[in-house]
Amino acid sequence: MLSALDEAQALEDLHRNGCTDGLPVVIPTAERVSRMVLASGQDGDMVLGTMGPGHGIATIENVAIAAVMAGCLPDYMPVVLAAVKAVIDPVFDLTEMQATTHCTAPLVIVNGPARHSCGPIASGTGALGPGHRANASIGRALRLTMINIGKAQPGSSDMALLGHPGKFTYCLAEDEENSPFTPLHVGRGFDPDDSVVTVLGAEAPHSVIFSGDGNDPESYRALLELLAMGLANPPSNNGTLTGGHATVVLNPEHSAILHSAGLTREDIAQELYERCFVESDVVKRLFGQFAGPDPQRRMAFRSPEQILILQAGGSGLYSMVMPSWCVGAHANAAVSVKVEADIFCEIPGLATSAALD
Amino acid sequence: MRDGINLAKLGIPAVALVTEEFWSQGNFVAQSLGMTTVPRVELPHPVAGTGSENLTRVAESIANNILSALEAQSD
Repeated sequence: MLSALDEAQALEDLHRNGCTDGLPVVIPTAERVSRMVLASGQDGDMVLGTMGPGHGIATIENVAIAAVMAGCLPDYMPVVLAAVKAVIDPVFDLTEMQATTHCTAPLVIVNGPARHSCGPIASGTGALGPGHRANASIGRALRLTMINIGKAQPGSSDMALLGHPGKFTYCLAEDEENSPFTPLHVGRGFDPDDSVVTVLGAEAPHSVIFSGDGNDPESYRALLELLAMGLANPPSNNGTLTGGHATVVLNPEHSAILHSAGLTREDIAQELYERCFVESDVVKRLFGQFAGPDPQRRMAFRSPEQILILQAGGSGLYSMVMPSWCVGAHANAAVSVKVEADIFCEIPGLATSAALD
Repeated sequence: MRDGINLAKLGIPAVALVTEEFWSQGNFVAQSLGMTTVPRVELPHPVAGTGSENLTRVAESIANNILSALEAQSD
């Protein structure tokens, strides 16, 4: 527990102690944190697990502190808790992910009713940009847990050579209502009515431009090829090291083009999987020590299921791909966790008062 | 929208063609450039890349609206 004469002094203390992401935070007073804990519907001392590389213990209260600091409303807590549980899962390799020199950042994808009840979490125009409070503060809350519970500090325990802006916040929902495909979480084994948070390490989004050609029914193949080139571009870890999950965010127009070609989400993953490779001559010529003794054509993914596909964003020319790190014992695996919204405690007036009072 | 406004400012009859996705942005541009009354006609979205058959259909559906907007300027 820290003490300060006023909130301005408290903010300076938090900056000095390395407890922030460099931007101003809401001061996590005991009263604000206790109300955030109360809204979670769980006891503050309940342990979720440990977060590397500092191996701090994540409790409901510690996570609530991060959520307050990030500017979350109590409504967002179930999603923040699910995101923290996802990165704590041993399969996520959080310790290695936090410590790597790669730029990887946790991309938080939200599916199901929690997109509305714990938000709204934006899935449309500019969903990964500024102006969406839930997206901004949920992703930021996860980052603050990684800083304050996981003890990731740039240059000493977080060794990312540059990082990327998604390390401040990186959260969006899937535009399920306007998508012609089954939602991402259903493809990963959940029920459509489940609320699910999927988290995976990701590079900054790479834009993929494509304009359809209504005169050519085969033009969708060009879109598939361009998306595959973005996912498995040779200098990315997916092209060079291979074997990690990666993300494709289709805008509504590109989704419609692929859907009109008769493809399901699973078909698209299969088509991309088959196109995501680096030819042996490129491996031989450019990969140096990463080429190995027998430089063959290199498949970027182990299976189509490693390519996560969702629809989000406004309608137009641009989709996004997020290549990934591909390292760690589990090679940058995506982890999906069900949002436990049922135990969330709805308190009249709390949602609007907790973050700022 | 900006092209339409620039032409209108030169005294040349103009109609801005704006797809429904960009309609509110068109209003914003018109407001910020001080010509909120610039004539405009709404198109479905998307039109780019939807093929010549669809473009013909769209053109036929809005041609009268464009003519009306131009005729209104000659009044």
